[in-house]
Amino acid sequence: MTADATHKVTVANRGGRELAVADGENIADACEAAGIAVPIACRYGGCITCAGRLVSGSVRQPKGTALNKRQSQDGYILMCVAQPKEDCIVEVGVETHTNLYRNPFLGPLK
Amino acid sequence: MSKECCGPGYASPKEAMQADREKLLHTVALYVGTGVEKPDYLATVDVDPDSPTYSSVVARTEMPQVGDELHHSGWNACSSCHDDASKSRQYLLMPGVRTSNINVIDTSDDTNPKLHKVISGDEIKAKTNLSAPHTVHCLGADIIISMLGDADGNAPGGFLHINEDFDIVGRWENDITGMNYNYDFWYQPRHNMMVSSEWGAPNTFMPGFDLEDVGAGKYGQSIHFWDFEGKKIVKSIDMGADGMIPLEVRGLHDPDSNEGMFAATLSSNVFRWWKTDDGDFEIEKVIDIPTIDVDGFPVPMPSLITDILISMDDKYLYFANWLHGDLRQYDITDRANPKMTGQVWLGGMLGKAPEVNGVKVQGAPQMIQLSLDGKRLYVTTSLFSSWDNQFYPGMKDQGGQMYMIDCDTDKGGISINPDFVVDFGKEPNGPSRCHEMRYPGGDVTSDIWM
Repeated sequence: MTADATHKVTVANRGGRELAVADGENIADACEAAGIAVPIACRYGGCITCAGRLVSGSVRQPKGTALNKRQSQDGYILMCVAQPKEDCIVEVGVETHTNLYRNPFLGPLK
Repeated sequence: MSKECCGPGYASPKEAMQADREKLLHTVALYVGTGVEKPDYLATVDVDPDSPTYSSVVARTEMPQVGDELHHSGWNACSSCHDDASKSRQYLLMPGVRTSNINVIDTSDDTNPKLHKVISGDEIKAKTNLSAPHTVHCLGADIIISMLGDADGNAPGGFLHINEDFDIVGRWENDITGMNYNYDFWYQPRHNMMVSSEWGAPNTFMPGFDLEDVGAGKYGQSIHFWDFEGKKIVKSIDMGADGMIPLEVRGLHDPDSNEGMFAATLSSNVFRWWKTDDGDFEIEKVIDIPTIDVDGFPVPMPSLITDILISMDDKYLYFANWLHGDLRQYDITDRANPKMTGQVWLGGMLGKAPEVNGVKVQGAPQMIQLSLDGKRLYVTTSLFSSWDNQFYPGMKDQGGQMYMIDCDTDKGGISINPDFVVDFGKEPNGPSRCHEMRYPGGDVTSDIWM
């Protein structure tokens, strides 16, 4: 991978829009630059507001602290810190949050 | 009452209780975590029963940036500068917990509030290494704000000091030794004291509530007593399992008083705090709400006391049980032995009042605000976007609600007013969450006397 590589990120639930995301750039910034509205708040990986799903591909998430192991295993990533390592397909927005939150008093903790 | 010589607020709690009835109420309204990608806003609600727009939102003031998570708010000036005729209760400071921005709203035209200034979260982080602003109190000319994290969202945070022009002065405290986490605070100048409480690090509570984090000690269970002038903690009390997640701290309004109350939210206990004659600080548990075993729940459900307040005459205590779904009134004339005098149900996980005044309740009683005369208690149903989405996932699509509770201040007793409901599920840009409330003329959680 060269220093100025870009990766194709397909936003599956926004009409399959394709973004060219530069190395070191996060998906939330790329979405905003392309005019795709995504939920955003802390912008440092601490708060979960921007969580979405990684359908395929892989990302690095420096400083992403807001997701627990279960949420990561369910495919959630934090768009504000997620930098693609290869071409990725993602789903963004609150409509992906169905399995993100759980009532901690309901059912055993994983 | 005469105002010629005076600044904001009232000469005394007794005078505050004689003030004109509130006609407007400001509440924060949030789009964070709803799927509506718009800024949070200040919603101004008509609470004048003689007005044609009674019980509806009459103004909406958008914040400049998406994603703040507006939460609590505070005035630039209150009764603490009643003697200063140059001051007025004009600006409402509205911090964003997630962005750390502090939005300053000019309410001179109280039916058309306008953005005056933003203290940017980036500037606060760079200058003070603090983030996640929470409680705002004015101290005469200056303003201090509890900050729940450092610039990276880790504990313990500290206190931000800003001046009357809303410029950053720096960190307020001299020493936070003993403080594990930060949340709310109350001060009592005549006794040179301040009390502060503990939630958790922003990186812990912002993503949602996880019992594993409780087990790992990532939530607070201590209360801190401060030397107010020395700006340092003089005594911390670790309450253990009885005192998990102490949130709102209230003092009695009588400025000569040296006592107050707070609730340990997760343990669902109310504590009384006081300063002793020899200058020490003590606490004792005075109310204990039992957990309830619910079918399908593997652990007993706490009531979750998320907000608490004391009436201006220091006679009644009110608090909200956000999971169980009830709102209670206690007579605290005998401080050590509060007596329950009223209870209503609104929404909640026990399913006792799913629909009230023709609207399906999303959430349960949460933030509360009492009129100065003590007769009307307003209540909203949202706690915090990510926690709402865990416990009451319907709120993100249906919005929060605001109700009014009529309070009998003579004999005790409370009832839901049948003519008042503001359904934030019907907002023009889509359903939003409503949280803390302020009256233009001051209220029982703003005003402190020097």
